[in-house]
Order: sequence, then C-alpha cells, then structure tokens
Amino acid sequence: MFDAIRRPFGYEPVLTKEDLKKSPDKKNERAKNWKSTLLRIWKLVDEQRTLLIVVLALVFISSAMALLGPFLIGYIIDTYIVPGAFEGMGLIIGWLIMVYVLHSVSLYLQNYWMVGIAQQVIYQMRAGLFGHLQRLPVSFFDKRQHGELMSRVTNDIENVSSTLNTSFIQVFSSILTLVGTAVVMVMLSPILTVLTFIIIPLMYWSIRWITKRTGRLYKEQQKAVGDLNGMIEETISGQKIVKAFSQEDRVMDEFLVKSERLRRTGFWAWTYAGFIPKVMNFLNNGSFALVAGIGGLLALNGSVTIGVIVIFTEYSRQFTRPLNDLANQFNTVLSAIAGAERVFAIMDEAEEADDTKNNTEKRLEGKVEFDNVSFKYEGAEEEWTIRNLSFTVETGQTAAFVGATGAGKTTVMQLLARFYDVDEGEIRIDGTPIGEMPRETLRKQIAFVLQDPFLFEASVSDNIRYGKLDASDEEVVEAAKQANAHDFISKLPEGYDTVLSGDGSMISQGQKQLLSIARALIADPVILLLDEATSSIDTVTELKIQEALERLMEGRTSFVIAHRLNTVRKADFVYVMELGKLVEAGSQAELLEKGGLYATMLADAKL
Amino acid sequence: MKTVFSYTKPYSFLIGVALFLMLLELAVELLQPLVIASIIDDGIVAGDQDTIIRLGLVLMGLSLIAFLSGVVNSYFASHVSHSFSFDVRREVYGRVQSFSLAMFNKFPASGLITRLTSDVQLIQQVLYMSLRIMLRAPLLVIGSMVMAFVVNAQLAIYLIIVFPILLAFLYVMVRKGVVYFSFVQQRLDKVNRMVQENLQAVRLIKAYLRGKYEANRFSEVAGALKTDTVKAFRIMEIILPILLFGMNVSLLAVIWFGAFEIQGGDAQIGELVAIVNYAMRMTGAFSMFSFIIMAFARAKASSDRIEEILLAEDGGEELDGATVPVEEGTVRFDDVSFTYPGTSRRVLQHISFELAPREKLAIMGATGSGKTSLLQLIPRFYEATEGSVSVHGRDVREWNLQELRKTIGLVPQQSMLFTGSISDNLSWGKEQAELPELTEAAEKAQIDETIQRFPKGYETRVGQKGVNLSGGQKQRLSIARALVRKPSILILDDSTSALDVKTESALWAELDKEQATTLLVTQKVRTAMRADRILLLEDGVASAYGTHDELLNMSPLYREIAQSQQAEEVDEYV
Repeated sequence: MFDAIRRPFGYEPVLTKEDLKKSPDKKNERAKNWKSTLLRIWKLVDEQRTLLIVVLALVFISSAMALLGPFLIGYIIDTYIVPGAFEGMGLIIGWLIMVYVLHSVSLYLQNYWMVGIAQQVIYQMRAGLFGHLQRLPVSFFDKRQHGELMSRVTNDIENVSSTLNTSFIQVFSSILTLVGTAVVMVMLSPILTVLTFIIIPLMYWSIRWITKRTGRLYKEQQKAVGDLNGMIEETISGQKIVKAFSQEDRVMDEFLVKSERLRRTGFWAWTYAGFIPKVMNFLNNGSFALVAGIGGLLALNGSVTIGVIVIFTEYSRQFTRPLNDLANQFNTVLSAIAGAERVFAIMDEAEEADDTKNNTEKRLEGKVEFDNVSFKYEGAEEEWTIRNLSFTVETGQTAAFVGATGAGKTTVMQLLARFYDVDEGEIRIDGTPIGEMPRETLRKQIAFVLQDPFLFEASVSDNIRYGKLDASDEEVVEAAKQANAHDFISKLPEGYDTVLSGDGSMISQGQKQLLSIARALIADPVILLLDEATSSIDTVTELKIQEALERLMEGRTSFVIAHRLNTVRKADFVYVMELGKLVEAGSQAELLEKGGLYATMLADAKL
Repeated sequence: MKTVFSYTKPYSFLIGVALFLMLLELAVELLQPLVIASIIDDGIVAGDQDTIIRLGLVLMGLSLIAFLSGVVNSYFASHVSHSFSFDVRREVYGRVQSFSLAMFNKFPASGLITRLTSDVQLIQQVLYMSLRIMLRAPLLVIGSMVMAFVVNAQLAIYLIIVFPILLAFLYVMVRKGVVYFSFVQQRLDKVNRMVQENLQAVRLIKAYLRGKYEANRFSEVAGALKTDTVKAFRIMEIILPILLFGMNVSLLAVIWFGAFEIQGGDAQIGELVAIVNYAMRMTGAFSMFSFIIMAFARAKASSDRIEEILLAEDGGEELDGATVPVEEGTVRFDDVSFTYPGTSRRVLQHISFELAPREKLAIMGATGSGKTSLLQLIPRFYEATEGSVSVHGRDVREWNLQELRKTIGLVPQQSMLFTGSISDNLSWGKEQAELPELTEAAEKAQIDETIQRFPKGYETRVGQKGVNLSGGQKQRLSIARALVRKPSILILDDSTSALDVKTESALWAELDKEQATTLLVTQKVRTAMRADRILLLEDGVASAYGTHDELLNMSPLYREIAQSQQAEEVDEYV
C-alpha cells in the first residue's frame, strides 16, 4: 500500500529523500536563481512601461468593478429585497449594468494589450538568444547538439510565452483583489475577516513544501525535453544512415529511453504541481465553512446581517479565486521559469569579444605569417593539434598544404580565420597580429570554401549572393559562370530562382560545391581558403574549375588543401604537415629533389 | 486510421477514475450553497444554534472529501497525460522511421521536431487540464444550473435565457482559433528550421560575416511568429468579456424578477440568495471558459498537425519479403530508369549492368550525372521507376528490406556520425559487435591508429557533441562502420575524397581483400582501374561500360579524362 503511494503506476521517484535533504545549502542558491530569472524577464517587460501602466490601470479598473458588483448586489439584498421595499432599485440596477460594461471592456483591453507586451518580450528573448548565438565562438558549438539548442529557442521560450500571456495579469489582479477584498471585508466584519485570513499561513507552508520538489523536477523535465530534441534532430537529419544500416530498432530503443525519462520527470513534476490547486481549494472551502458556520452564530446575536454573510461567502471565494487560478497554472509557471533559466544560461555564455568599433574598410595586402603557433582544441586532452608552426606566405602566393588526414591542415585555416584563437605564438597578416585585428575586418578579406558545402533553404541566386549581399543579378550569373555552375543552374526547373530544399537533395554534392565556389568568387576576397574544395568534382569539370580558380587566385593569397597533386603542383610553396607539425616546406621541385616525405608521398601515389 | 485522441483509449479506465474523482470534488462544491441557504433559512432566521454548528461541520467534512478526491485525481491525471504523450511520441517517431526518403522532402526535419515536442506537449497539457479542471468549468455551469432549478425553477429560467446565444458565439470562436493557432505552429516550424540551419552552418556564417544578416533574417521569422501569435490570442481574448457580460446581465434579471416574486410570496429570500450564489459561481466558471476554449483550439491545431504525419499518404517502406539470397553477392540493373518522386526530370535512363559476386564496378561521370542516385536504388532508398534492380539474385522489391540492407555496407558522400562513443558509432554496422571486430574494421579503414591515440580510445565521444575530427577521420570512421558488418555488397560513394594518397592506397589494398561485391564512385582513373569494370554516366545515361582498356578504345570522354589525369602524373615525374 505504502509502495503504491510512493511509486504510483510504477514510477520511481526522481528525487530521493536524500536529494531533498541535501537542499539546505542549495535552497538559497535556487531562490536566488529564481529571483534573478524573474528579474531578467521583468526587465524585458519593463521596457514597454507606458503600455504596461495602461494595462495595470485597466486591471485596477476591472478588479474594482469585480469587487463593486457583489457589493452592490449585497446592498440590493439588504436594502430592498429583505425589507421588501423596491423603490429606487431600478436605479441601482442601472448602475450595476454600467459596472458590468466597464468590467468587460477593461478586461478585453487589458488582455489585448498584454498579449502584445508578452509576445514582444518573447520576441526579444528569441531574437536576443539568436543574436547571441551568432556572437558565440565556434568552440561553443563543437560541444553541443543542434537539437538541444533548438529546443531552447523554441520549446523553452514557448513555455515562457504561454505563462506571460496569462499569468502576468493574474498576478496583478490577484494582488489588487486581495487588497481590495481585505479592505472591504475588514470594514464589514473584522471577526469574519480574521476567520478568512486564517488560511494564509497554511497556504504558505503547503506551497513551500510543494515547490521544494517541483522546482527541481521542472528543470529535469526541460532537460529531458532538450535531450530528446537533440536525439530527434540527429536521427532525422541522418535518416539515410539509419536506414542504410537498418538501425531503426536501435534508434527507436534509444528514443524510448529518452522519452521514458521525460515521462518520468514530467509525471512527478506535474503530480506535485497538481497538488497546489487542490490544497488551495481545500483551505478555501474550509474558510468558507468557517465563515458560514461562525457567521451564522454571530448573526443570531445580531452582530452581522444576512447580507454580510452572503457577501462574505462570495468574497472569501473572490479572495482566493485569483490565487486559485494562478495555482491551477502553477505548472506552466514553473516550467516557464525552468525554460527561462535555460535560455539565460546560453545568454550568459561568453561572447567573442566585441571589436566592431575598430573595424576598418582598408583592404589588406595579404601577406600571412605564422610565428611559432601552437593550438589545441578546448577540452581535448590529447596532444597539440598544431605545434610550433612557423611559415610565411607572401602576398599573392599560393600555399598548398599536404599531409595525412588529421595532420592539422584544416585547423591552420580555421586559425587564420580566427574561428579559434591560438594558444601560443602569433599569426600576422601584413605584419599585424590577427588577435589585434577586428574579426570583421579580418573575415571580410577572407573567403572560405569548406569541406562540406552547405546551402541554405533559399533560391540558388540567394545562396550565391551570400558572398556579397548587394550583388546584382548580373554579378551572380557571372560568378556562376566562372565557377562553371551556370550550365547546371540553367537546367534547374526555375533556373536561378529554384529554391533548394532543406537537405539540398535536388542537386548533387559536386553541384553544391560549385555553388559554394561561386559564393566565394562573388565575395572577392584578398585571402582565399580552399579546403578540399574540388574533392567531389569530376575531372572534366575540375579542369574548368582549375582555370577559374587560377584566375581567382591571381593577385590573392591562397591557402589550398588538396590531395590532388595537380592542384598542389601549381602552388608556389608546398607545406607538408604531420601530426600538427610542419615537416617539410618548399617549392614542388625543391621538395622532390630533397627526397623526403613529400617525394615518398608522390611515389606512393604512383602505385 | 487512428486520430490522436484515440490514443487515450488504453487509459479509458484511469480516465474514468480521474473524471469520477473530479465529479466528486465538484458535487461537494455544488452542495455548499445549498447548505448555506439552509444555515440562513433554518438556522439564522429560525434562531437555531445547533443547526448552524451541525451544518458548519458538514461543510467542513465536505471540504475534506473534496480535498482527498482532488489529490488522488492529481496522480491519475498526471499519469494518463504523460503516458498518452509518451505513446503519441512513440507512434509518430516510429511512423517517421518507417517513412520512405521521399517523405522527408515533404516534411523537413524541423517540422517533424516541432511536432514531436511542441505539438505533443500542447495536447498533453490540454488532456491534463481536461482531467483536472477543464471539465469542471462546463460541469460547474451545468451543475449550478441544475441546482438553481432545484431551488427555484422560475427564477432559474432567467439565468438560462442567454445560453444559446453564448454557445453559438463560442462555437464560432473555436473554429476561428483552430485556424489561427495552426498558423502559429507553422511559424514555429520556420523558427526551428532557421535555428537548425544556422547551427549547421556556423563556420560558413562566420567566414562570410553574416551574423548580423542572419540575425535580421531571424528577426523577420520570429517577428512573423509574434504577429501571428498576437493575432490568435487577441481573437481568443474576446471570449471572456462577452461571456462575463452575458452572465452578469442575466444575474441582474434574476434579482429584478426575484424581487417581485418574493413580494408576491412565490420565492423566499434564502432561495434568491442561493440562486445569486450559483449565478456568481457560473460567472467564475466562465472566466475559466475562455482559457479552456483557447487551449482547446490550440490543441486541435496541434493534433491536426500530428495526424498529418500519422495519416500521410506514404505506404511507408514495404518491409516484408524474402530473407534469403538466391545468389549471394550479385547485383543486376535491368533497363533501369529513375525519376525522383514529385519531380519530372529523369535522372537515370535505361541503365543495365550485371555484377558477379566479388566483382568491382567503378562509376564515373560528371557531377550531377546520376551516380549517387544510381547507388541509392541498391538498398532501395528509392524504387526504380522503370526496369528492375536485383540484388543477390532477387528483385529488391521482393526483399525483406531490413535483411536486404543488412547485407549492404554503405559509405555515403557526407560522413554523418551520431552522438556517442566511437565504438557506439562503429557498432551501428553490427549490433553486439565485440571490440576485436571493431578494431579489425578500424584497422582496415586505416583509422585504428588514430583512435588509439585518443586518450579514451574507442570510448572517445564523437558526433555533434564530440571531439574535433578532421574530414578524413570522419570518412574513415564511416568506412569502418560499413566494414564492421562484413557486407557482401559494399557501396562507396566517393568516400575517400578527403584522404591523402598514401592512406587511400593502403585503404584500397585492404578493400581489395574484402569478400564483397563493390560499387564505388570515383573521379580518379587510377582508382577506377582497380575495378573489374567501369560505368561512365553522362546525364543519367550509361555512355560507356566495360574494362579500362575497352573504355579507352570506346569512349572519347573517358579517353579525355584518362589523358588529362595521366598527363598530370607524367608531369609529376619531371
């Protein structure tokens, strides 16, 4: 029996007794967290102060009208109906109609504007979070699942949204109604008022008992939602692999485990939160009984009238109804706070330092120096990804990087674009350390063609235009022609206006690469970074691309990673890397003559 | 076909219990005004102190009953709503897993994610509320009405007059709400899509300095979501004031006409007070009503969206069929043509070839010539529009899909790894694979050494949350994953492009030893020469098919490619 209560329907408790005992030291922290979370939301709400004041004024009016209604009805009963004298009752009823009209109108208007305020706050949170994501360093994203972050921008913020819409007004009207009813009640009968108020401390204690549990449970729940979201995103994006390896069952099992965790945390969170309105109702009904019983006794000796009892039973209801309404929504409020906390946690992640003030439009020359650079990825315990790397690429030269996979070639390029900051040493462009150069100034001079070409869900021309937002249609077509993409684009159903679907499955991998090259072409960079840019392009097309690239590389400093030796062959310098270190450098001919690693690699390639 | 709400069926009994407890709670509440009327009429007016105390205690007892029912109801409501959403999620996710790939163009990942989380959550919320409070409001209204009639039917009639008008009004509003809220959810899909896109393209966006541009684009999307949400809610907010006004006016009618009836002796004061009390309760319940209507309209919009998935016109993949190969390791294309579902362009035209066990076929061709499309027909990701594809001596359409795919090792162009350890990822190839099997495959794929160098070896975490792997490392892991299952057919879709020459040739030497029929896409003549035969694709047509030497004689295009690549190699000797 006891077990059935502790583990209803077979749910193991999420929080053990030990967990709850551990809380004393953590309680303050939690309270502080809640407080600062609420404060931050409040700051956003406060930005629309004028409208907010109007809403509050309307809440004031509607609450006053809500109080005035029953008061006038009590008055009618005591003055006209009990004595049976109806003279002048019509007038009061006329007044009452006015009160009701005012009540409804102010109610509508306050909600009308409040929804606007709330959604503006939500919008700001969303846009703020997204904008913040844009300013976070790349290393932040290395460690996080996409779906989990998506869950914060949608699910967590949605939770805040549904609460702000309704609860905000309720909190205010509750406070007003509480104060208002208390005043009227004291005026009518101090004794009955005290009876009604007996429930307040009881309410406080019981709610504290419950929130001690729910606070943490809701956090767990939102975490479970995020995890589930992450898993869904990954497996749906990688659906082809799931199918190819017939792993539907395995994925389903994993899904069920995560889903079950959400069910379990959710069950406990909602169950506990569900107690709140029940407790409130109980206390409410109790005070109702007290008022009726003791009020009845008092009426016997004439210290209160029947009208007062009628009003009181109604007021004791009105007194707790707003609290009750609020309590009924308590679980949305709690999950909103848990959601907001998760959103603010991301907002508190350190951004890339803001250096936009020092932006310059000056075009760089393009001389690149690596001076004893060392680097390792955050959290990687392994050895350095790049170790004591030094070299210089003069303006307009082409440097080719070769070496086994994992040698650090891509990392070199990422460091140059300042996706990561070096741990030791210095990278200089035209003699200026890039650490002192605003990122924007730096990146404006660089164009990247990445290993995995990524296209946006937008038209072909918009995708190319990504390299230069104000490019004209002619420029777009010209860039496409240079990248040899024009022919296949013309064959697409709507040419340049064809919208590429989410996974770009309409066009082949090679075509995607052509588009990403066109995108780099249109950006007209000083420094060009090509990371395996031609790997998926057939030889015939590649030849044409080579011509285009050669034209493009002219006058620009280019870094090329390629395993195709014909690409490497055209470079001014070849850098051979192994395990993060530079092992050989020189022109193609020099390296061959030297008979080192590069010569061996070439010989291997002939096998 | 099942609707979303039919998933509550297994819980009918529990729902019944929850509703019963709720009714009990409600009944108690409805009895209260009756007891109060009795306190006034029999106690105060009659001056009977004992009656007052006795009825006061009755009121207390009733509260306790209501409380206990309420608490137990919490358990039941929470259990039912969470189990329901668990079931719906499982059903939808399972359905998505069974989708053919063509369906993913219709329902992009972001839309599926919103449905599986946000939409399910909204319905769950409404179910939970219905089991606890939502039905309370309508029942409270009906109950109060009945009680009012019991107390004094003549007066109660004045309360009911406005009802039909209010109900018609509510009906119209719900219909509107569903439409508006489904717009809101669609907007949410778009927000999701944009976030996903941005996360996938972090480096690209940073390289092109498009952070602000993306933020502006997002502002538009989020702004549209805001506008639509505000619109939806504002329409719903009309409900409450109108309902309240209607109720308040009928309350006045009760008092006005009640007064005359008391005068005429047809009603007592206690009765009028009780009816006024019931009327006020109804008014209170109505304020909950607008909230309910809104939630209901929202849930309806969400359940429509989920049903869209459950009812999608996609037979899913036909899973059943033969499980035993006829001639293991053969692949035959017989006059195959293929058009992607929903498009009109034929990407493959009249392709025919035949591979004996352990033969190798290299597929070459310009980008966009249909190489990947051809490979996708073998594990039956898509079905040939014309002609037939046979694997292991059987038409792929006759195969049990899981069994067919189990014999195939696929290495796609873009290596996709999942969150988890390296060994988790490798064991995708074969569940319950032992570590030696994994290392063996990793060795063949030339990645074992690299893995051993990681501090945690095969337990190193990879995927979106994992360590930074280079493109080549990912490719080799993805090859190892395919090798773990010792496939009888191996498909390599240009999957060695990020490897350096030395690693690549070591890899090919290993692959030559594999007992698998191999289809590989490549751009390099040198690699193609390793194959028994070469298929050259041009715009979806097999322009040449044969051995390297045959093709040199036969195909001008192949000759051109070979010469250009050879020239390059000769150059390198210089």
